[in-house]
Amino acid sequence: MDELGDIIQEFLVESHENLDQLDRDLVALEQDPGSREMLSSIFRTIHTIKGTSGFLAFHRLETLTHAGESLLSRLRDGAQQMNPASADALLAMVDTVRKLLESIEETGGEGDVDVESVIAMVTACIEDPSAPKAEAPAPEAKPAKPARSRSAKSKAPVAPEPAAEAPKAPEAPVKAVEVAAQAPEVPAPAVAAAPAVAKPAAPVREPAAEESGQNTKRSIADSSIRVDVDLLDTLMRLVGELVLTRNQIVRGVNDISDPVLARTTQRLNLITSELQESVMKTRMQPIDHIWSKLPRVVRDLSGSLGKQVALAMEGKETELDRSLLEAVKDPLTHLVRNAVDHGIETVEERVAKGKPGQGTLTLRAYHEGGHVIVEIKDDGAGIDVERVAQTALDRGVVTRDQLARMESREIISLVFRPGFSTAKKVTNVSGRGVGMDVVKTNIEQIGGTVDVDSTLGKGTTWRLTIPLTLAIIQALTVECGAERYAIPQVGVDELVFVDGQSGQAIEHVSGAPVYRLRGKLLPLVRLDETLGLPVRNSDRDVYIAVLQADGRRFGLVVDRVLNTEEIVVKPLSGRMKDVGVYAGSTIVGDGKVALILDIASLARRSHLAAEAAERAQLDQVDNRPRGGSIERLLIAGIGERRVAIPLDMVTRLEEFPVERIERVGSREVVQYRDHILPVIRLASLLGCYDVHESETVPAVVYTERGRSVALVVEQIVDIVEDHIEARSDLDDDGLTGSAVIQQRVTELLDVRRAILAADPRFYTEMSEITNSMVGA
Amino acid sequence: MPSRQYATFEVADQLFGVDVAQVQEVLRFHEYTRVPLAPTSVGGLFNLRGQVIDAVDLRVQLGLPPRDLNVPAMNVIVSVDDEWVSLLVDRIGEVIELDDEAFEPPPDTLAGAYRNLIVGTFKLQDRLMLALDARRAADTTVPVPAAQHA
Repeated sequence: MDELGDIIQEFLVESHENLDQLDRDLVALEQDPGSREMLSSIFRTIHTIKGTSGFLAFHRLETLTHAGESLLSRLRDGAQQMNPASADALLAMVDTVRKLLESIEETGGEGDVDVESVIAMVTACIEDPSAPKAEAPAPEAKPAKPARSRSAKSKAPVAPEPAAEAPKAPEAPVKAVEVAAQAPEVPAPAVAAAPAVAKPAAPVREPAAEESGQNTKRSIADSSIRVDVDLLDTLMRLVGELVLTRNQIVRGVNDISDPVLARTTQRLNLITSELQESVMKTRMQPIDHIWSKLPRVVRDLSGSLGKQVALAMEGKETELDRSLLEAVKDPLTHLVRNAVDHGIETVEERVAKGKPGQGTLTLRAYHEGGHVIVEIKDDGAGIDVERVAQTALDRGVVTRDQLARMESREIISLVFRPGFSTAKKVTNVSGRGVGMDVVKTNIEQIGGTVDVDSTLGKGTTWRLTIPLTLAIIQALTVECGAERYAIPQVGVDELVFVDGQSGQAIEHVSGAPVYRLRGKLLPLVRLDETLGLPVRNSDRDVYIAVLQADGRRFGLVVDRVLNTEEIVVKPLSGRMKDVGVYAGSTIVGDGKVALILDIASLARRSHLAAEAAERAQLDQVDNRPRGGSIERLLIAGIGERRVAIPLDMVTRLEEFPVERIERVGSREVVQYRDHILPVIRLASLLGCYDVHESETVPAVVYTERGRSVALVVEQIVDIVEDHIEARSDLDDDGLTGSAVIQQRVTELLDVRRAILAADPRFYTEMSEITNSMVGA
Repeated sequence: MPSRQYATFEVADQLFGVDVAQVQEVLRFHEYTRVPLAPTSVGGLFNLRGQVIDAVDLRVQLGLPPRDLNVPAMNVIVSVDDEWVSLLVDRIGEVIELDDEAFEPPPDTLAGAYRNLIVGTFKLQDRLMLALDARRAADTTVPVPAAQHA
C-alpha cells in the first residue's frame, strides 16, 4: 500500500474535486431535469471514480459507483426520466462515496461504510423490473478487473433488456448491460439477448470510444478550462500596459526616494513581472503540437523517394506562444521535407559512402537567451558549396566578384536568396526555388532568424531562432534626432562607439560610408539620412549598431544607444505599414510612443551603400598580404599603451566599483559571486602609473577549474580578429612580445605571469594542466 | 423630423462637423512621436491609455501647411473601420443637433481638397458647418503625395 500511497492521495484529491463538481451538477440537474449535457457530465465524473477505484481495488466504492453509473447512463440516454426518487438516490450515492473516501483517507481502507442499502436504493430507481433486481445482491462478489474488461468487451452482446426497451433506445440497453455483466452468476440474460447484437451494433461504438477516452479526459477537464484566445489576447495586452505603467512608476519613485513607497514599488515590480510571465504561459503550447504531424510526413516522403529516414525529436515539450507556433509550422514542415528530399541520400548512396543505410533526421528544440531554437539536423550529403556558388552565378543571384570574396558560410546562405534552388531535378516535393527564401521571410516576419550550417558529406543543420512571444520582444532603444527608435535585439550583433578622440572614424568609399570593424569594412546606413531627418555634420561620438538581416551585415549609425529592454509590440495601422521602414510601435518607459525599425527593410535600403563597400572590400582584400596567423585578441588600454590578451584567456568582462576592491595583506581582492577574487592591476604589473581615477574599473576575469583571477585594466578598447602583420620579440617585463594590430603597436601580455602575480597558487592547485599552460 | 447630432470643431477658422456617433473622445495632447517618411498628413503617433493612435493633421488634409506639433493640439478621436484615429483640429465646438432639412450638398465651387472630404453643408444661424466624411479625412494615402525624400 505504501508505494501506492501517492496514487491514492492523488485519487482522493481528484475525487473530492469531482464530488464537489457532482454536487453542483446534481443540484443544477434538478432545475433542468432534461439536460443531457449535465447528465453526461455527472456520468463521466462517477465513471472516473469507478475506474480509479477499480484500479486501486476499492471494491465497495467501485460497486457503488457502478450502480450509480448504471442509473445515470439510463437517464443520460433518455431511457428513463429524472425524478425526485432518482435524484435522492444519486445524492445518497454521492454522500456514501464521500463517506467511503473519508474512510480511505483516514484508515487507508474502505471501513464498514454501508453501501448495500444505497445500491439497493439506486437500483430500485432503474425502471426495469428484471435486470436490476436480479443483480442487486450480486455485485459485491465481483473482482474489479475482469469486470471492467468484460463489460467493455461484452457490452453489445449481453443486452439483458427486454424487447420492449430495446427498440426505443438502442444505446440504453448497452449501458445497462454493464450492471448485468458484473454478475457472473447471471450469465443467462447474456445468451438470451444475443439476437439483439445486430441492432445496436452501430451505437455501441460511440459509448465504447467515449469510455476509453474518459478516464484521462475527465481529470484533465477538471484541472483545465477552455478559454477564448481573444480573451487571452486581451489579458496579454492589459499586462503589457501594466508593465509599461509599472516602468513609469518605478522611474517616478526613484526620484522621490521614499523608503516605504520604494518597497511597495519593488513589490509591484515583482508581482507585475510574475503576472506577465504567467499570462505569457497561458498562451504557450509545446512545440509537439506541430511536430506530431512530422513523423507521418517523413515516413510518406522517404517511402516515396526510396529512402530510409529515422526521425528523432528532442525537446518536444519546449513551449512557444501559440500564434508563433502557427507561424513556424509551414517553414518547419518545409525544412523537414527539404532535408528528406535533398539532404538525406538514398540507401545505396549512403552505403556507398560507408554510412548506415538509414539516415537520421533530428529535430531539437530548446530555450536559449529568451529565444526558442529549433534545429533540423540531418546526417545527409551536406550542402556543396561549389554547387551553390555555381548555381548562384547561373541564376544571377550574385556576381563573380561578389562570390570571390565570400566565405563558404556566406555562400551557403545564398540558398535563402529569392529564386534559388540547387535541386538537380525538380521534384514534386521541393526544388521549385520557392522554398528557402519563403522560409526565411516567414521566420523573419515573426522576428526570428534562420541559419544554416553544413559539412559536405556529413550533413546539414538548419537553425531557427524564434522569439518566445510575438507581443513582447527584447529590443535595443536608440536615439536619432529627437526621437527614440527600437531595434529588435535578435538582429543586433554588436555595438560600436565611434569615439572622436581615439582616431577611429567613419570613412567613405565612393560616397558610401563604411567603418573598419576588426579589419573588415562594414557598410554603414545612417539612420538620420535614411529617415530623411536633418543629417548631423559630425561623424564623431556616434554609435554603430552592427545589424544582421537578409544575409548581410551592416552598421546602423545612430546618435545614441539608450538601453536594452523588453518592449510590448503594437501593430501599426495600415497607413504606417505603407511607409515600410517600421515593423511596429511600442510605448517606452516615459509613456511616449517609439517606432520599431524593420531591419530587413533598412538592409534593403542600404543595398547601394553595401555594393560600394563590397567593391572597396575587394580592393582591400587584394592588397592585403595573405597568410599570417589569425588570432582573436582583446585589446585593453593601460595608460597610453595598448595591451592584447588572447580571447581564450578571457572568461568574462566585468566592471568593479573601485570601493569594492578590498585588501588582503598586500594583495587586492574583490568579492565576486560568493568568492574572494584576487585582483591584479595591469598598470602596476607593467610598471605604468594608474592615472585614471574613476568610480569603476573594467576587469578581465579568467576562470579555470573553479579558480578565478581578475586583471584590472584602464579600458577595454576592442576585440580584434586579425592577421598580425608585424610581430616582434621586442618585449619588456610581463610581456611576450609586441605586434602591430590595427596599425598600432600593441603589446602582447604574458597572461600566465599576470595571473600568477594575482594568485601565485593559481596553477599549482591544478598541477595536471600546468604543463600545457607552460607550452602556451 | 429626422435630425442628427454633430460634434463640431474648427480648422483654419472654418467650422466642421462629424457624426457624433463616430466620435470616441476629444482631448488635448502634446507629445507626438513623429513618423519620418510617412505622409505629411500623419502628424504623429501618441499613446492613449496604452493604445497607439495615429494623429492625422486635418490642415494638411485640407491642403494647408502642416500644424506645429510642438504646441498642444486638440484631438478628435474618431472610429473608422474599427480603428481609432485622431483628427488634429484647432478648436473644439459644441455638439449640435441639426435637422436633415438644413443639409445641402457641397457647393460646386468648393475647392479640391475640401471637396474630397466634405459630404455636405449645414446652414447654421450665423455661419456654415461643413460635414466631414471621417473615413476620407483619416485616409492619408489619397490626397497628399507620399515621401518627400527618396
